[in-house]
Amino acid sequence: MTVLENASFLLQAPGDDCPSLERTRSSYNPLRTFELPKGGQKHYQQQYADMYFVRLAQLKPAVERIAEEAWDDFEIAGEKARRVDRVLDVRQGELCWVVGTVYMDMPLKPNILDDLEKEHWIVAPPPREKFISNGQDSIMLEDESGRLRLAGTFLTSRMLVTGCIVAVMGTENADGEFEVIDSRLPDLARQPERWERDEAALALAGRKVKGERQPAGKIALVSGLEIGGKDASESLQLELLKEFLLGEASSPDEQTRVAGISRLIIAGNSLANASPIPSREEFAAMKKASRKYGYDPSMYNASPSEHLDAFLGGLLPSIPVTLLPGASDPANVALPQQALHPALFPQSRSYTKLPTEVSDEPAWFDSVTNPWEGDVDGWRLLGTGGQPVDDVFKYVHSDNRLDMMESILRWRLNAPTAPDTLWSYPFQDGDPHVIKDCPHVYFVGNQPRFETRVIEGTAAQQVRLIALPKFCETGVLVLLHAETLAIECVKFEIFRKHEQA
Amino acid sequence: MDKYKHFLAANVLNENRIVNYRTLSRALKVHANLAKQMLYDFHQRENAKKVGSVHATYLIAGISKADTTAHVNGVSSSNETGSFMQSSPFPSSAPEPEEVEEQIVTTTVMLAKEEGLEDAKNQFEEIRSIHIYSLAPSPIKDFEVLATCNEDVDKAYASEDPLQTLHVYGVIKNPNVKRRARRGPPPPNAAAAQPIAKPAVKPSTTAKDAASKEESSKAKDETESKPAKQKEDESTKRSAAKPAAPKREKSDLFKSFANAKTKTKTEASAPKPQEPKEPEDEPMKDVSEDEPEEDFDPMASKQASDEARKQRDQRAAQLAEMMDQEDEPMEDAPSPGVEEQEEEQEAPALEKSPEKQEPEKREAGVSVTNGRRRGKRKVMKRKTIKDEEGYMVTREEPVWESFSEDEPEPKKPRAPIVATPSTTKGRKGGPKGQGNIMSFFSKK
Repeated sequence: MTVLENASFLLQAPGDDCPSLERTRSSYNPLRTFELPKGGQKHYQQQYADMYFVRLAQLKPAVERIAEEAWDDFEIAGEKARRVDRVLDVRQGELCWVVGTVYMDMPLKPNILDDLEKEHWIVAPPPREKFISNGQDSIMLEDESGRLRLAGTFLTSRMLVTGCIVAVMGTENADGEFEVIDSRLPDLARQPERWERDEAALALAGRKVKGERQPAGKIALVSGLEIGGKDASESLQLELLKEFLLGEASSPDEQTRVAGISRLIIAGNSLANASPIPSREEFAAMKKASRKYGYDPSMYNASPSEHLDAFLGGLLPSIPVTLLPGASDPANVALPQQALHPALFPQSRSYTKLPTEVSDEPAWFDSVTNPWEGDVDGWRLLGTGGQPVDDVFKYVHSDNRLDMMESILRWRLNAPTAPDTLWSYPFQDGDPHVIKDCPHVYFVGNQPRFETRVIEGTAAQQVRLIALPKFCETGVLVLLHAETLAIECVKFEIFRKHEQA
Repeated sequence: MDKYKHFLAANVLNENRIVNYRTLSRALKVHANLAKQMLYDFHQRENAKKVGSVHATYLIAGISKADTTAHVNGVSSSNETGSFMQSSPFPSSAPEPEEVEEQIVTTTVMLAKEEGLEDAKNQFEEIRSIHIYSLAPSPIKDFEVLATCNEDVDKAYASEDPLQTLHVYGVIKNPNVKRRARRGPPPPNAAAAQPIAKPAVKPSTTAKDAASKEESSKAKDETESKPAKQKEDESTKRSAAKPAAPKREKSDLFKSFANAKTKTKTEASAPKPQEPKEPEDEPMKDVSEDEPEEDFDPMASKQASDEARKQRDQRAAQLAEMMDQEDEPMEDAPSPGVEEQEEEQEAPALEKSPEKQEPEKREAGVSVTNGRRRGKRKVMKRKTIKDEEGYMVTREEPVWESFSEDEPEPKKPRAPIVATPSTTKGRKGGPKGQGNIMSFFSKK
């Protein structure tokens, strides 16, 4: 144990007054990719099939290009691989390659009939962690024309989920199955340059592109505050987080470092049990309760949201906040989840924009969608509250969340399993889950533990993946250096060894 | 300089309270770091007098031993479990375990009790900072009680404008902060908290405690500025009231009631501006301490209340306008129940064509003719066709489509006139829009 020189500075009699610090500026330019049309413009009558068609139409060119490059002169026994337009055009015994949407047929996937059946059981089985069952799963490739069953040992080594668009090469065997030899993904999309969008906006506005920029600070990322989850035990940890971010805790040296944190991004699950859809059991219990019109304090506990509001309200005078909703937050359940309503934050909402305000100036307290993308300090950030990765997890054997995140980027699909097993808005004219621009930083909230990795693409793209753990369980705050994209962690702990029982 | 001793003696020793550095810094209006030193000084002195009279908790920040070892393991193991291969060859994305030994610095911020301080320190590889977090008269049984200190601070100083005062306490200033003027009613919990005339730690203060604090705040008043000596209680009151510039809960609470009242009135009556004839509103305004300077001048306060009413009317109009905007889709279908408004509404309703939300709009050749924009733009459209073999094919094709949309500007001045009747119409006529929800629940 070494104690730094200045560490005990605060363990002495009161001295001179301390200088006040100033926080680094955060350059912030959010995108509205995932905002749904408001009110009457939002419809739910559409068929989900359109989403798959659009997705295929959007991603097919990219996959075809990559596959063509790779298999252009591929030969087996003098036979050249031929490109086939539709999956139904595949002829038996002919070496060919085709592009389509993967569909995983898994008996253990949730089924609406099982849901009905549940009512007749005394004790329903717990929900499954994964959908995988040995030997009963099959992988299909489909497009508008039809389906092709995929086979071969090659596939077992690949991570595939429903909804992703792939190119596969092989032959159809005697059983009518497509024996796969190789496959290709869309891979990482084009990655914008740093500051690209901000500079384009400046150039459009006719102003000179700024040459000199102040060095950017750090971006703080946290998820899973889960206020109101268990009891008050998390509230002290949360207070420590607040004091740390405000620069009140610890020594002047540390405070100077904290002043470099220019923005806080909260990636989902800020409240613990605020999801608007109750489980079947809860719903049954609710029905039994007295039916009273109006506000019933026994049905609704306001204190978690007040607590969150106070937390944000305390931080906002000093640090701008971007808030993504998550699975347990009071937002809509179907992806993309829309921003948490400012009415939830009576204290903090004075830092938001008025609903009638139409300016493009981003709000200081920006309640955004989940998933969300935007430019922070010039970098493109893409983040979710964790649902897409959690859902991909159910399809694959691996437990490695970073692999799943990497795959999501390489599939160019933010939520591949929507709308199959992940609820989604029925998009008609274009699926916003298709990743058009490869982000520089991809963060996913509410993961089992903190992990990070840098992946690279074929066109020199570099993406920093960050799996954020739940703050309420780990006390971890992740700091992202906005100049280098390096990572640093801060862990908040309470030393309980000497606590009396 | 010694007032912290008085404060801590009164609160920790006499009142058996837990005081953390935030409580102290806010009570004395000093920097948090100074408050930490004050806590340390007090702790040293009291325990020198009598051992065990004051118990402290410490906040340690540094590099934890556990983290440095566990983390390296975490990285390598996560690489080992990466058994899945990607379908494309990735030159550098599947890193070998030894390649990615990306050392991630983890700073641990740990709260520990005095009794466990040495053990807690031993958890650290390197200690960067250590300071007293809180003082209590007896050993703390449960850490959660410490959270109540901050809750009390939040409640007691809710009336302060954080942008004005926070840097005094050592909070990092942010010059870029954007906040709009508060217009809505205040938060309910802040309203519930009593407006505090003295820098109290808890709303419930005993007389003795209050006296000691009054003393401290008075002392402060004298040191920082030397005003002509006024009556004692008034001067203390002023000093407390000064920082609370834009929002005061008590007044806001009344104002919000007043707002609700006038709002319903403007909606119910004709849209013309209200005559100032609500006597029941006047005394409320006077009681509220919205403009502390003008409180004693009856003329000024009347003027102020008139002004406030004008603002409220404006706000009601804006609100009505907002409601009108939300109503607009409904106006497309003219309802049978409306007669007088037909002429006014017909024109905009016919002009409006439901604008399609399309991705990737590219506008070209936009022309503005009598208040409407027309033009063509390029839109990526999904097109599903049947090919010659009868298969469905979906493609994304760029399409030029013409569009026209209303300019938002010319609508604005007219909006409040249309707005108010439209809200009353919804209530009175009731053939369209929302009826009374109670009728839905009534037994049939």
